[in-house]
Amino acid sequence: MARRPVPGAFLRSRPIEGAFLRSRPTQRVLVIGLDCATPQFVFGPQRFDLPNLQGLVENGCWGLLRSCDPPITAPAWAVMMSGRDPGALGCYGFRNRKDHSYDGMVTANSAAIRVRRAWDIASRYGKKVVVLGVPQTYPVTPVNGWMVADFLAPDTNADYTYPKALKAEIEASVGGYIIDVKDFRTEKKDWLLEQLHALMHNRFDLARHLMTTKPWDFFMMVEMGVDRLHHGFWKFCDPMHPKYEPGNPYENAIRDYYIAMDRRIGELLALVGPETAVMVVSDHGAKAMLGGVCINQWLINEGYLRVADPLGIRKRIEDCSIDWSQTRAWASGGYYGRVFLNVAGREPQGIVRPDEYEALRKEMMERIEAMPGPGGKPLGNKAVRPEDLYKTVNGIAPDLIVYFGDLSWRSVGAVGFDSIYTFENDTGPDDANHDFHGIFIMDDRSGRGGEEVKGLQILDVAPTVLDLLGVDVPEDMQGKII
Amino acid sequence: MEKGIAVTMSGANVVETAQVLTVRLIEMGRNVEHLDAAMAARFGSIKAASYACEVLVRNGVVVIVTHPKLKPKPPCLDIEVDANDTPDFAAEKVLDELAAAGVIVMESSDYSPEEEERIRKRLADLGYIE
Repeated sequence: MARRPVPGAFLRSRPIEGAFLRSRPTQRVLVIGLDCATPQFVFGPQRFDLPNLQGLVENGCWGLLRSCDPPITAPAWAVMMSGRDPGALGCYGFRNRKDHSYDGMVTANSAAIRVRRAWDIASRYGKKVVVLGVPQTYPVTPVNGWMVADFLAPDTNADYTYPKALKAEIEASVGGYIIDVKDFRTEKKDWLLEQLHALMHNRFDLARHLMTTKPWDFFMMVEMGVDRLHHGFWKFCDPMHPKYEPGNPYENAIRDYYIAMDRRIGELLALVGPETAVMVVSDHGAKAMLGGVCINQWLINEGYLRVADPLGIRKRIEDCSIDWSQTRAWASGGYYGRVFLNVAGREPQGIVRPDEYEALRKEMMERIEAMPGPGGKPLGNKAVRPEDLYKTVNGIAPDLIVYFGDLSWRSVGAVGFDSIYTFENDTGPDDANHDFHGIFIMDDRSGRGGEEVKGLQILDVAPTVLDLLGVDVPEDMQGKII
Repeated sequence: MEKGIAVTMSGANVVETAQVLTVRLIEMGRNVEHLDAAMAARFGSIKAASYACEVLVRNGVVVIVTHPKLKPKPPCLDIEVDANDTPDFAAEKVLDELAAAGVIVMESSDYSPEEEERIRKRLADLGYIE
């Protein structure tokens, strides 16, 4: 597959006008991304024994890193490395509306990110970069160095590397690239654990190979296994999870994985010199998932959505016969909810008059937030308007972004449920949801001595990386230099 | 007929960058000629080589000029290759300039329908969408 260029991505080889002044000497930068690595296991009183991460914490600085809204892998890594919020990116999740049709959803791969990320800017300044497995980098784009795509690559038959020749090198050096764990929704936990460790070791093997064979100023890798581990094993390890059973055989699966990963991080750290600034970051955290709220079932029950399908048969909303002439809103599921209004003059068969739009949104926000849980008490939902979250709203955003039970509940898009609550998952077991805070650790070799930095935002990472590299930070980046 | 252009290249790694650029343009189905010192010598004079370049461009060819004394007539793109750029990256930068000039069109990076459905299923299995 050929690439589509980011407009102007390579046209400018001069420093960007209006950039911030640099605040420290130029350094090489190593960024180790751990998708979903969660603060309670790294910083908290219950933290695991992770000597390498702890060493970085003690020598450098650390803090909770507030993810974007929504705190989802896509767009979170793109937000982190572009310094722009999802509204500025026009990317609100892995699947976004490409137009106002009812079925026009497209996957947000790298082509959806139309601004330059830190490695693009560093490339422009002549820095050599290595980018490995960072979400939303498939299809790969040219960089001044090497790029290996993320799990949005269809498979390893695709051109998942830049330059293309790197693919053969990967196959020769580490026996191939594991894009992601397959058949993740399984009850075969021994098998899954084995796959997760294989994924992690493959990623670190490749990182080590690239780190030792390529010249680089900026090196970034993302390890996806932590996220898959949390979703697959949380209930076995968290005594607060309703399905937790003491003494189960997987009680230490998460801890052991983190410890093994920490060892691999230590190997990479041993390869970099004292002139290299090191960051360890995650795009969001994790927490126990208590159940799911069937958002479209709720919309049906409340009279916002009309489907012609027989009651009681579970179906994806995309497969339902929706009576658009009687539908004011519909929704998508996932780790958070997205509600779309059927607006006259905007959607093909819209019925919500533009002058009713705001009142309806307000009404739905109030009703979603007042929604009781299975026990009758409010679930603690939050429904927000995109324009209240973002500086600008590009592309086609959902009309409402919904978090159920402070993200302890997922959003279920399918219909045909007896209740709006479900404790099972049609697609297989999943015990964790995302949480708003990930981790940030940085040892910039300035001797910060374990300083805790509060108020860190995911938007702050890209400007900090560029500043460390000695590259001017574009003025329109929304974050601050840490 | 496709739009031709002369691309004069100077700076570091010019030969390597011109080679990568030639391959990339041929992959895109474009006719490409590389006018270096050896090729220019075969025309007998700079003037003759310049005229050949002009004729090629007029006929839709992308002419990559690395002979330092050869100054083609417009349409012409002057590229200074950055010493820090790899030849692959430098060539991609030229391609972007050619795309901006309307000489080439970059292909879409959309998934095929089959790939799109496979990725959608993967994302659903991973819990990102339902």
